[in-house]
Order: sequence, then C-alpha cells, then structure tokens
Amino acid sequence: MRRLFMEPIGIFILAMICQVYSCAANVSDSVERMQYASVAGEEYLQEEKLDTNLGDKVFFEFDKSSLDAEDKNLLEQYLPFIKKAKIVRLEGHCDERGTREYNLALGERRALEVRDFLIVKGVSGKKIRVVSFGEEKPLKSASNENAWAENRRVEISLY
Amino acid sequence: MIKFFFLVVFLVSNNIFSILEIEILKGSDNLSKVAFVPFGVEDGIEESYGGQISKFIEGNMLLFGEFENLDESEMLSYPSSESDFYYRDWKIQGVDYSLIGKVNSVNSLGNLNISYSLFNINRRIKILEGEIIGSENNLEGISKIISNRIYEQITGLKGIFDTKLAYVVNSDPETYQICISNIDGKNEQILFTSKAPIMSPDWSPDRKKIAYVSFENGLAEIFIQDLISGQRDSIQALGMTNSAPVWSPDGKSLALVVSFSGNPDIFLYSLNNKKLTRLTNHYGIDTEPSWSPDSKKIIFTSDRTGSPQLYEINTKSKRKKRLTRDGNYNARGRYFPDGKSIFFVHGNDGNFQIATKKLSSRYIETLTSTSLDESPAISPNGNIIIYATKDGTNGYLGGITLDGKSRFSLPVKNGSVREPAWSPLLN
Amino acid sequence: MNKALTSLNTFFLILLFLSLIFSVFSVPKLNVDEQQSIKVNFYELSQQDDILFDSSIPNVTIKQETKKSSLTDKKIEPSEAAVVSKFKFNKSDIKNEISKIKLSKEREDILRISAIIQSRISSIWIKPNSLSESLITKVSINLAPSGEILNFKLIEPSSNNSFNESILTAMNKMTFLEDVKFLDRKLFEENFRNFNLVFKSSGEIE
Repeated sequence: MRRLFMEPIGIFILAMICQVYSCAANVSDSVERMQYASVAGEEYLQEEKLDTNLGDKVFFEFDKSSLDAEDKNLLEQYLPFIKKAKIVRLEGHCDERGTREYNLALGERRALEVRDFLIVKGVSGKKIRVVSFGEEKPLKSASNENAWAENRRVEISLY
Repeated sequence: MIKFFFLVVFLVSNNIFSILEIEILKGSDNLSKVAFVPFGVEDGIEESYGGQISKFIEGNMLLFGEFENLDESEMLSYPSSESDFYYRDWKIQGVDYSLIGKVNSVNSLGNLNISYSLFNINRRIKILEGEIIGSENNLEGISKIISNRIYEQITGLKGIFDTKLAYVVNSDPETYQICISNIDGKNEQILFTSKAPIMSPDWSPDRKKIAYVSFENGLAEIFIQDLISGQRDSIQALGMTNSAPVWSPDGKSLALVVSFSGNPDIFLYSLNNKKLTRLTNHYGIDTEPSWSPDSKKIIFTSDRTGSPQLYEINTKSKRKKRLTRDGNYNARGRYFPDGKSIFFVHGNDGNFQIATKKLSSRYIETLTSTSLDESPAISPNGNIIIYATKDGTNGYLGGITLDGKSRFSLPVKNGSVREPAWSPLLN
Repeated sequence: MNKALTSLNTFFLILLFLSLIFSVFSVPKLNVDEQQSIKVNFYELSQQDDILFDSSIPNVTIKQETKKSSLTDKKIEPSEAAVVSKFKFNKSDIKNEISKIKLSKEREDILRISAIIQSRISSIWIKPNSLSESLITKVSINLAPSGEILNFKLIEPSSNNSFNESILTAMNKMTFLEDVKFLDRKLFEENFRNFNLVFKSSGEIE
C-alpha cells in the first residue's frame, strides 16, 4: 500500500531533478557542434554541382517534419549518388503559413530528418551541410494548397 | 422561509431607500470629430504655413482612423484666437474638439512661434494650450509635437507620431531590403540590401540600433546595425542557425535563438561581455522569444507538446508556464506594454490571425479577419497593432486599433512588405 | 520516522491530486449578475427592444433582477434569495412568484426606461481605450419630469482622468432624457428624479 503512495512521488521528484539538471546544463556541451557553423557557409559552392536525373526534393505535411515511405524511397534511390558526392547540402523550407521564426526552426527540423535518415543509411555525417530558409524562399509564391505543398520541402544538392 | 421573508422586505423597502443605478458598459462606435482650423498667420510670414501646419496635424491624427475630421470647407468660421472662437459654430456641426492656432515670427532667420489651443465643444472649455518655437523648415516636425500633445490630451495615451517603423521589403526573389520609415511611410531609408533573405528586425530601446537576421553568408546569422554610422556587426556565429533577436528593455542584452545541431533553444546574449546563457533546454523547437516590459520574463513559442504554443519563462528562476491551450497553433507572442495581456499569431481552421489574450484569463480573442496574418507589432502606447498580411502574392502591412473601431492598411510599396517592428518612443 | 514520512507522502499525494482536480475544474467563472444592481445588459436589451415597440403585449418573461440597496448591510440576503429563487422550486418560491407578478408591471417600466437611457448614453459615450485598468465612475443625475437633465455630478470619479473626461463630455452632449415623461409620476419620483449612472470599463479588449 505504501508503495502505491510512494511511486507517484518518486516520479514527481525524479521529474524535478531532471528539470533542475536541464536548466543547469550549459553551452559548453557544444564545442564540437560548433564545427557546423564554421563550415555551413558557402565554401562548398566552389565545388562543382553534381547532376542526377532524380527529383531533388522531399516534401512534407504542414507543421510536420517526418519522412513518409515515398520520401524514404526517393532517398534510397539517391544513396549511390550521395555516397559519391563530396558534400551533401540539405536545404529545409516551409510554406508561408504560420510564423517566420518558427518556420525557420521547422525547416531546420526537416533538413535534419533527412540528414538523420542518410546517416542511418551509412552516409558520413561529416559531409552533410544543413541550412534552413524557413518560409523565406518559396518555390511558388501563390497562396493555395498546391503551392504550399510544393514549398514544404527539403532540397538536396550534391557537390 | 426566513430568506423568503427577507426578500419580500427587501423588495418593498428597496423602492423607498435605494437609488436606481444604470450601468453603462459599452461605448459608442462613433469616433470623436475634430476640427483642424487652418492656423492664422502673422503679417509678413508666408501665408500658406498656417494651412500646412493644420493639414500636417490633421494627417497625423487621422492616420490610424482614430478620429473623424470636419472638412475645412464646412467650417462656419476660421478663428485663430480665443476671442474669435464661438462654441456654437462647432456644436451645430457635431464637432467634439476644435484646434486653432497662430503662427508668429520670432526673428528674421525664419524662426516661428506657433501657439495653439484645443477646445472641448461639448463641455465648452479650453482643454489645452501651448506654444512651440521652431524653424520654418521644420513645419512637419513641429506639427508632430503638436499632434502628440493633442492626442495625449484627448485620449490619455502617449502620442506616437514621432515613432518609426522598421520592416523587410522583398521586391523580387533576389532582392531583400531592410528599411525604416516614419509611421506614415514617409522618409524611407534603406539600411541594408542583400540577395539572401533578411528576417526579424528589432529596435534597440534607445532607437539607435537594429538587430536582424541575414542569410548573406549562407546561414542564419544575427547582425546589429548602427543607424547613424551604418556599421554592421555580426554576433559571432554561434551555432548552425541563429535567429529571432530581441533587445532586452534595458538594451544591455539580447534574447535570441541558437540551434547548435538542430535543436533551437532560447539564450540570453550579453552585449557587454558577449556571454551566452542558456534559458531553455528542450528537444522540441523553442523560438520567438520576447521580453516582458519588466524584463523579468520571456515569452516564447515551443512545440514541446506537439504543436506550437506559447510559454513564459522567468529569466531568474527559469520557471516555465504554459500560456495558451486553445487551438493547435499559437506562436510569436509579445506582451502588451502593461504586461498583463499578450498578442500573438493564432491558427484557426487553417487561417492565421492576430489574437490577444489576457494572462489572467483563458480566452483567446481574434482581432483580424484575413487569413495569412503574421508578425504583429504594437504601438508603444498600446493602442494599435500592425501586422503583415498578404493580398494575392503581395505582402502589405495592415493595422487595427484595439477598440476595434478602426482597421487600416499602410501605403503599399513596391514589393512584398513584412515583419514590421515599431520603434520605442523617443525619451 | 517512518510514520512521519508516510504522512508527508500522503500529504504530497493529496496535494498532487488536488492540483489535478483544480486544473480540471479551473474553468473561468461566469459572472453571476444577481449581486448587481439593475443591470440591463445587452443581451437583455434586444428583448427589451421588442417590448418597446410592442408594448400592448405585457411581457412577463423579463428577467427578474434584484436591486442593490444603498444600505450595504442588506446586500447579502437579497443575492442569496435570488439564487435560491432561481434554482429551487418550492412553496416559498411560488409565493415569491406571486409577489413578483404584483411588482412586475412597475419593474417592467423601470427596466424599459433604464434600458433606453442606457442605450442612449452608450450611443454617445466615446469610451477611451483603458486596456489595463478596470475603471468605475459613478455619476449622479437629477431629472425634471419633462426629462430635462437638471444637473449631473461625478460622485465617484475613477482614477483615470481621461476616462472621467470622456464621461463628462458624453454627459454634456446629453441634455434631455425625454423617455421618462411617459412614466407614471409616482414611478418617476421614486426612481428617475434622482438616479445614478455607473460607467464601467472592464479593462478587457472589447
């Protein structure tokens, strides 16, 4: 009986401890991650862009960043080219709905989702560059479902 | 039984003792009507100055649809001094306030002394008088000062006619500009032009600098630009994506969003020692921070529960509180100047509109009726919200007064205008 | 020691439980207007308008409202009574109803005129934006039987000057409330010879 009482309190206390720790965690954990910043610039643009005959975009649902079977299929087809490329650039985009700064983060999420999939498939994380433009660079400027669906994308370019 | 007895006694007695009270909760939908009488001009001064000043003031006062005017051609008299002023001339025209004034010469260098008086026609009293000395080259500036004073006298709110706007203009897919202008759209100045997107302008509290995000180096990077010298400083690239800078009310630090490896969190960045302090740490998206007026709290958007919702965090204790629960899209929150309410973008059946909510209440009230509204900014006196919206493929700025009486849109520019940021008041 | 811990734990559990319950039930309260004075709010006003234009049909569906006594010590009983009368059906309730009907004709007249006065003042009062404050200003009015406003006075001004000013401006615009002249003289003397207007700003975005 006493256990029954103890259990939720234990969880409660655990949650509190987690909270305290998460707040106390500092920026210092990110030294190695800083590398992303230093190489995310335009340095790769000096490299020649590789041509593939495949579609170079993966599309997403509104406010979602998960890949569906079709997207994964496309990426699978892409893999041989990706493995050959020196640099893989993933550019995340959103449609115009919702707020700009949130969409910037969402675009990043989408590009990272693709990156993670590629890493799982054996692509070296070191050659992947991720950038998000949020809703700032739409493919279609119209305000309708079709344009929005085309704008919610991750563009893949290989160098 | 006893209660019933009391009720009867009360019903009978209250006809004898009590005074009827009628509650008035709702005000009129009408606007106050103001007559801006052309100012009188002393002999020897350019005669058109009088009309110019009253027209400038009229233009300011009518800018946001907060007042109605009496057309000059309908005026029964054109007094320029109190001795010529007759209340009945204005009362029969339904005027609530009349502004009269006179331009006098101070010296031969073009300095003018402008005196003015404001009358409340219904109460038959003079409610304001004053005088300003200024140059004939600065009639517009003088008019702004007078406009501010009469606006404050009538509404009890701070006048905002000398504030400015910053915004982003996207005239073609390859041209992004960050601009500032007066609130009436005049005096536009281009601060920076780039081929890559520019986002999130925010004024420093002293109005001397603007922080914004630029993609000019291929990634989202935060810049601070000095408005006088034009000098631009990048906040040294911190992570993969840096975004959403907002100045603290004391101007000493920025709240901003840094994503080191794809996990955006809110940080404080001290401008003195360039130190970064983490505020949130969650695997969800945390973004769009904004300070409470007392700078104790920061409101932010987080999708930690699956959809974007607003939260506030105490900057000292790091205690978090969820602010919105209704709807599956509530983002980019800002506090009202009094800190008691917030305004934000509310997604509702696929429409994105500007909404407000009192912190003490649960209810969300939608202010706008277009469907792609975003980036709301509030006037420093808390009475007007402007926001970016879209008409076809062109973005423009719309506005609304918080009593809901007036909706307006700011003059359309070439290209898509968005992300308005309203400057603070001049101190 | 063990006992103390258990009781502490139990206490925490109860606290958690209570906070859960509270979070579920903490829906904002509705305003119960039984404690208010004759407050003809706008939902009722639409009903009132019907009566106004069709006064031949005596309408008894008007919501009964208790008046606020100027004697504050009597405040509690009527409000309680009103709540009881609203939710209980018993003998006293029926008697209560009978007394109500006796008074209903007079009440109806008072309510009707109050509603007219309310809407007329509302239509000329240009309410300033006072978002953050909830403000109350009380104005006392003296009327002549003809409806002429003999004088008015801010008896309880609010702390916000422009709010008070806006009310003075509105009151200056209004010179006649001629609707009272059709009232029974006794009713007029009892209710409208001298009455108060209570201007309120909720401090909400409206």
